[in-house]
Amino acid sequence: MKPRLVHPVAWWLWAIGMAAAAMRTRNLVLLALIVAVVCYVTLARRIDAPWARAFTLMWRLALLTVLFTVVLQIVLGIRYPGTVLLRLPGTTLPDWSGGIALGGDVTAEALLAALTNGLRLAAIIVCFGSANALAHPTRLLRVVPAALYELGVAAVVAITFVPQLAESTVRIRQAQRLRGRPITGLRGLRGLLVPVLEESLERAIALAASMDSRGYGRRGDVGRAFRALTGAAVLVGLIGACFGTYTVIDSAADRTVGVVALAGGTAVAAAGALIAGRRTQRTSLRKDPWGWPEWLTAGSGIAVAVAYRIAVPNDVNAGYELEWPHAPVSAVLLTVVGVLAGVLTPRPPLPGARATRSPERQLAGTG
Amino acid sequence: MSTVARSAGARTVAVPLRLRARIAIVAVTIVGIGAFVWPLLIGFGARGAPHSTDAPWIFLVLLPLLMVVVAAELADGGMDAKAVALLGVLAGMSAILRPVSGGVTGVQLMFFVLIPAGRVLGPGFGFVLGNLAMFASAAITGGGGPWLPFQMLAAGWIGLGAGLLPRARGRAELAMLAVYGLLAGVAYGFVLNLWFWPFGASGTGLTASVTFSPDASVAENLSRWLRFSVTTSLSFDIPRGLATAAAILALGRPMLLALRRAARKAAFDSPAEFDPPLI
Repeated sequence: MKPRLVHPVAWWLWAIGMAAAAMRTRNLVLLALIVAVVCYVTLARRIDAPWARAFTLMWRLALLTVLFTVVLQIVLGIRYPGTVLLRLPGTTLPDWSGGIALGGDVTAEALLAALTNGLRLAAIIVCFGSANALAHPTRLLRVVPAALYELGVAAVVAITFVPQLAESTVRIRQAQRLRGRPITGLRGLRGLLVPVLEESLERAIALAASMDSRGYGRRGDVGRAFRALTGAAVLVGLIGACFGTYTVIDSAADRTVGVVALAGGTAVAAAGALIAGRRTQRTSLRKDPWGWPEWLTAGSGIAVAVAYRIAVPNDVNAGYELEWPHAPVSAVLLTVVGVLAGVLTPRPPLPGARATRSPERQLAGTG
Repeated sequence: MSTVARSAGARTVAVPLRLRARIAIVAVTIVGIGAFVWPLLIGFGARGAPHSTDAPWIFLVLLPLLMVVVAAELADGGMDAKAVALLGVLAGMSAILRPVSGGVTGVQLMFFVLIPAGRVLGPGFGFVLGNLAMFASAAITGGGGPWLPFQMLAAGWIGLGAGLLPRARGRAELAMLAVYGLLAGVAYGFVLNLWFWPFGASGTGLTASVTFSPDASVAENLSRWLRFSVTTSLSFDIPRGLATAAAILALGRPMLLALRRAARKAAFDSPAEFDPPLI
């Protein structure tokens, strides 16, 4: 099998499928299994790239989430009756807070609830971290409709900027510590925040300059009549949608008319806006293929999600019992389907195997 | 709006709002208000009962499409590389502030970047930044779901409002932004309660006095919604509002200065001119 990158949309579909499965269950065994599958696939198929570091970052965030939820539950949370592990001095807040207590009895059930919720959130975070690490962000950008190109770029900049922000925070903190400046408290926060902000804004301006110098945002000319037509479509569609909204809500009016006006108006406006966006003439150097590895990747993720919807009972709103979680064999086998994306797909190319030097790549590296 | 008129004012307009973009924002606001408040308006009267359940689904499907229309219109109005880069960087910053500052307790500082940025860089920029920050946050933390368009729209309103606040300087400006941050933080929670309240309240085992009732009158549902918000989310909304206001008071000054410096450096108002070569 020739090494190549799997289409980013396929990775996102796979990750969304795994996350949807994690949202569905509160069984600790199944959650751990989902995380294991996602980790295996990510480690097997990620490449050495800046965005691939997102996975480590997300892991840290996930662990922090678990810790935070558990600590918060101990200090401040809804009190579950059950086996008391620890008695803290505390008080119940007034009625309006909805049964939240400060301190008080910490029960094993409450801890289990917090741990499970934290782990579920952590599993979802790991799934999306995996999507971030596996999907080539600038290739993902190519599937954004032309009308949203500018915002697509901004979103990619935002997402790739986050690991850099973490890196610059750590660096500035170290610098402040070496200078003997306070790193805690309000002054420390100010000493951290202001340089981080300044540096980020500098970076944005530098990025903009480099985008400008590469001819970013050049527009093709479109005819006047074409512009007028798409503009009219957007306006008429929006007016229809506004009219439809209140016809849907108004109980005295005919709702079918409202639904048609709302849906039709939105469709017309969206079509007008998207067609108008074709003014930007953009060619792509390489087309990303969508072949059987993509079908397999996306399919395995979606299969897990669908299987969970059918085969795993929805226990998200159930109570918390102190017992060893037992996972049905069928659910375990279904989860393992997700591994196929990391086993049967082609390996990613080795670094340096193909020199990619496009402005987009630069953008991903410096954004 | 001519270049001269823009540069004469103290504010920068990073993302110019053309007439069509304005109309699109107004239209999505009108539909958005409908999408948010339908539980208050719908279904009093027996014959509305079957349809009161499919109204939310229509909005769930159509609101994202309308957001696409607005985004396309805003981008079409001329979003240059500087606006795009600043949007990306500031959205990334807000997105990371949300989980790091603890979304669980409600002490979250997402609006702390959004409000000064909307103030300095204008309402159009504020609106797009609000949308994009929520989107990026969801993309990073896995917060995507049917609630995302509602969050994006509400955050967009907050950024837009910050750009439309009246002119003020020095302490008065900080105080104004802090009060706005407090109100926005609380209102955000209340408004976001609205659209899922009919689904959410039924499963929580709360007393009947706070759940949505399709048969009740507008006033009755309004008071039920307020009670629902106060009992469930106020303990999240108040800390969020207070944290935003406190952060603006404590760190807003250097933040505004840095943003203004960047806006000046980016020189959004100066049109690019290409002189013909001399020879």
